[in-house]
Amino acid sequence: MEKNQLPLEGIRVADFCWVYAGPYCTMLLGCLGAEVIKVEGHKRTDLTRHSVIWPLEDPAPTPMPVNQSMALNSLNLNKKSVTLDLSTPEGTAVAKRLVAVSDIVVDNMRAGSMKRMGMSYEELRKVKSDIIVLSSSSRGQGGPQKDYAGYATIHHAIGGGAYITGYPDDAPCHSLADVDLMNATTAAYAILAALYHREQTGEGQFIDFSQIEGVTSLLGESLLGYEMNGEIPERMGNAHPQYAPHNLYRCWGVDRWLALEVHSDEEFASLARVIGQPGLAEDSRFADMASRKKNEAALNQIIEEWTHERDRDWVVDEFCQAGLAAAPSRNGHDIYADPHLHERGAFVTVDHPELGELELVGAPWKMSGADIEIQHAPLLGEHNDYVLRELIGLSEAELADLRKKEVIM
Amino acid sequence: MTRLALEGIKVVELATMVAGPYCSKMLADMGADVIKVESPKGDPARQVGPFPKSGPHPERSALFLYNNTSKRGVTLNLDVAEGFDALKRLIKWADVLIDGLPFQRLKNLELDWEAISLLNPSIVYTSITPYGLTGPRAGVKGDELTLIHAGSLGNLLPTRVENIDRAPIKTGGYFVGYHGGLTAAVATLAAVLGQRTTGQGRAVDISLYEVILAMQRVSIAGNRYQRSNWSRVPDRPPAMGRMETKDGYVVIGTPEDHHFIAFRELMGNPEWIAGKDWESLAYRTHHMMDVKNELEGWMRQQNKHDIHHRAAKMGIAVGPINTAPEVLADEQYAARGYFTDVDHPEVGKHRYAGWPYQMSATPAQVNRPAPLLGQHNQEVFCNELGYSAEEFKQLQLAGAI
Repeated sequence: MEKNQLPLEGIRVADFCWVYAGPYCTMLLGCLGAEVIKVEGHKRTDLTRHSVIWPLEDPAPTPMPVNQSMALNSLNLNKKSVTLDLSTPEGTAVAKRLVAVSDIVVDNMRAGSMKRMGMSYEELRKVKSDIIVLSSSSRGQGGPQKDYAGYATIHHAIGGGAYITGYPDDAPCHSLADVDLMNATTAAYAILAALYHREQTGEGQFIDFSQIEGVTSLLGESLLGYEMNGEIPERMGNAHPQYAPHNLYRCWGVDRWLALEVHSDEEFASLARVIGQPGLAEDSRFADMASRKKNEAALNQIIEEWTHERDRDWVVDEFCQAGLAAAPSRNGHDIYADPHLHERGAFVTVDHPELGELELVGAPWKMSGADIEIQHAPLLGEHNDYVLRELIGLSEAELADLRKKEVIM
Repeated sequence: MTRLALEGIKVVELATMVAGPYCSKMLADMGADVIKVESPKGDPARQVGPFPKSGPHPERSALFLYNNTSKRGVTLNLDVAEGFDALKRLIKWADVLIDGLPFQRLKNLELDWEAISLLNPSIVYTSITPYGLTGPRAGVKGDELTLIHAGSLGNLLPTRVENIDRAPIKTGGYFVGYHGGLTAAVATLAAVLGQRTTGQGRAVDISLYEVILAMQRVSIAGNRYQRSNWSRVPDRPPAMGRMETKDGYVVIGTPEDHHFIAFRELMGNPEWIAGKDWESLAYRTHHMMDVKNELEGWMRQQNKHDIHHRAAKMGIAVGPINTAPEVLADEQYAARGYFTDVDHPEVGKHRYAGWPYQMSATPAQVNRPAPLLGQHNQEVFCNELGYSAEEFKQLQLAGAI
């Protein structure tokens, strides 16, 4: 029995993804041990290479150098980069030679783009008969809206997530980049299932991934509930249909909040003790789950009167030590302050050739025997030599010709 | 009948509510043989709903019905010796154990990773807990509300509010549970792939807190290294985002210059955004607030579904903010056959959300409706684990099932 082999060791991914929803999918495969080759046109690079530095004193934002944006660097760890102009037949011919030595192809271009470039699944399986191809698009490859464009925020809206997010007395609100990263995770799952099937049967396949459907699949109970009872699910802010207290509470300072959710009577009794009002547990207004929910507003006021003049992190610790589910509403700055994350190795440190040491969020799991040294996101074209000469085996004459035609950088 | 992708993978699920059950639903809908183990009281999701108009009933909760399709269900009381022994026999039978029980519940039964891998050296053991199995906060309780806020997503919502005095919020639904289930499914299936080649068992430790954190990776790094300052109160004028229409809301995105130029054309080239200046992202970033009222005024004249299609024809990304019935009625979902009919003995036939991946060789499918409580006790214990009729009777008499 060979120990400590990475789960996807020996698997190669030809990655034609850009922006968020595609690159994070292939990055997850890379974190599992696959070799991921990120293919970009040097004339049309990943949009995350084109952000601006902000905020700045200058009236006009400064374009970020191509290897330095944090989106690029957070979503493309553990990859190799090759540049190829895919708008030319010579470029796609080289890309197909890469596919011929790969196991998996992923793209998240507009539906039909791969086909227009002569790289449809049918074409790709001619060069690698058991290839697994996943195309991720906004609305999927078929249907009346297949050509419609979209982003994470829009998918959250169409899929049904935005309508139920927000305060009940205010507008709905869309979520953010997390929607793309969720779809990337789901797509990685479909690829692994196809890979399992291929290992068993030798058969590859095409996977048509729809990002609006990705959102809807995570709202299954809400749609089925409507199917069964005809009631439209509405926004609830931080509240829960049954539990109370279940809210955010203001703490001392500016924009300092803690989240607290109490499910059982025992937990409520602990809460009452911590805030110095043990009698609340016997108060008929709060005696059980139903009465607490009914008198939620009064309860929220009592709790916030106690929290709002105390330090957030101190209160969270008091609550947690009493066995309650409580957490600070952290922002992206104070997340690095949590010793728990450091002790668990939730952050990884990479040495970026242009930016130096970067401490970034690592893979969303811990797996025994699968420790992997995380590499920085590749510089544009950093692995051209390795990919074009070693992997694909282009000759010097071919390389010179492609360079002359500006197919490669 | 076509072969399912994950045929032959045997999974035992010891989990409740959303994260663990959704993880094994994903495996089950792809053909894995999933046995869901519930306490004799049943998964609490059975009490949560939403329910049909007839009211709460443990076999009629949409949350349970959706997250447990394609599985067989057994009951086990782990605090009874016979029940605990049956669990150990299930672990020997399985390729995968999904553990979504409270922190250290199995360990307290002397079933930690070491003991589990002694029982079955090649098993993939996936544990899903609020804060993971190690570290100073391991064992702290957490659920939907607390973990969304802990992981720094909640603090960014509601997006683009103007009043910082109002508390941040969570996303609607079971965001933490579903994302945790997705992440666990990816790690678990990868480990199974490795298991098939090397026979190697693995422990997978999913911290739901880190699942949320991982989704915020870009804003976290941007704040630290590039002076961005992500907040629910924007530090710059909105590029557009959510806008109100005559009959609801839409979300619009025009990140690139050509999108904005097309949008201007869609609006009939109004004078208040005329001129070359507006065609540059940098200019728009600084001046969008100057035309906020005009933009919003125009959008309030539109119908949300009509503007969705008109904008799309011009290459502009707009999405209506859909309610549940609007999603169910959407032409695109229908054309792709996204919804799937499931007939359940207690609630009858309904449309369920399907899968966002259409796989040419091995499509996912609901192989059976969610199990009734203890529905497959006899089938699983006698047929899969080889209990004799006498042994099975003993399980019943001991109150183990």
